[in-house]
Amino acid sequence: MAYSEKVIDHYENPRNVGAFGRDEAGVGTGMVGAPACGDVMKLQIKVDESGVITDARFKTYGCGSAIASSSLVTEWVKGKTLDQAMTIRNTEIAEELALPPVKIHCSILAEDAIKAAVEDYRHRLSASDQTA
Amino acid sequence: MQEDGLLDLDRLRDSLRPDTTVVSVMHVNNEIGVIQDITAIGNLCRERGIVFHVDAAQSTGKVAIDLAKLPVDLMSFSAHKTYGPKGMGALFVRRKPRVRIEAQIHGGGHERGFRSGTLPTHQIVGMGEAFRLARLEMAVENDRIRMLRDRLWSGLSTMDEVFLNGHLEHRVPHNLNVSFAFVEGESLIMAIKEIAVSSGSACTSASLEPSYVLRALGRSDELAHSSIRFSLGRFTTEADVDFTVQLLRDKVGRLREMSPLWEMFQDGIDLNTVQWAAH
Repeated sequence: MAYSEKVIDHYENPRNVGAFGRDEAGVGTGMVGAPACGDVMKLQIKVDESGVITDARFKTYGCGSAIASSSLVTEWVKGKTLDQAMTIRNTEIAEELALPPVKIHCSILAEDAIKAAVEDYRHRLSASDQTA
Repeated sequence: MQEDGLLDLDRLRDSLRPDTTVVSVMHVNNEIGVIQDITAIGNLCRERGIVFHVDAAQSTGKVAIDLAKLPVDLMSFSAHKTYGPKGMGALFVRRKPRVRIEAQIHGGGHERGFRSGTLPTHQIVGMGEAFRLARLEMAVENDRIRMLRDRLWSGLSTMDEVFLNGHLEHRVPHNLNVSFAFVEGESLIMAIKEIAVSSGSACTSASLEPSYVLRALGRSDELAHSSIRFSLGRFTTEADVDFTVQLLRDKVGRLREMSPLWEMFQDGIDLNTVQWAAH
């Protein structure tokens, strides 16, 4: 597979690999994809009280462009509000990384991972509001 | 197909029908290197008057082939798998019992009318010479490569969650197909760019589907996505093998550190019980 320099850079020097505790306050976790399809992404965001994403972590099982797509979005979501993060589109990810057509699904998965992480954070927040 | 990659002879026997005309089998599989029992399969065919074709592209120079003894009617060969030139092959056609085939390429009636066209003499000589050398060196070379293969497998098999694909004994020593669970094959290939390996077969490298050969062995899609095929040959050295083992240990470890599946496995989660969002 002929990859762009950006994909190779993110693959060889992935940003923000790791994990936050799922139950940690202010953390939202999104896991998308399936092992049978060859890609699973886990994206975690840490959100402060004003609703700004202050930090992000990922772990990905998948090809080079899946790893690069998830690494890129951990950089992009930092400093954004939840609503701003929700506007990140797969087309922007694919364009930034110059993904080959056969790998566009990796960028779709990365967009889905952001949405899943934000939804998980909001869900957990409203659940803790109700119990408080 | 059995789990070890060998053809189930009882199932083959049961699936032969009165109107079956041809059985065609790969002598050695290109992805997992297992050697099929072509004598047994050929005898099944002979008893029923079925033409038996064997694709021996992967077996020349690796497995002894004596067509005076083997119950094979047609056998195809390829030069480039045995260090010969690309673009050259041969078809063995048995005279007794006679197999009648029809030409697909017509013209000047070359090769007794079987395949017309000007013969590429340099390619033919190259193939013949490659096969002559292979026959001379095969016994010694196979022993050497088997030692290297065993060294490679003993270095890799001590890692966690590593699986051999295909029967360990009934295979050519030149091939080792290994699944590294929780690591995706393409990302692993990118990580070990100092060595040339392949995931699946060259025929399907443009496709994202997992290997149908590994799926036929009953491997899960996940393990099929996590497999690498190592090929050893005339120019492989012990130092190459040791380098490969060390490289794999490092890179598989690194990729597992960033694999959510490995993390779940370490946490004792059975991945089969997880509700995945298919895409």
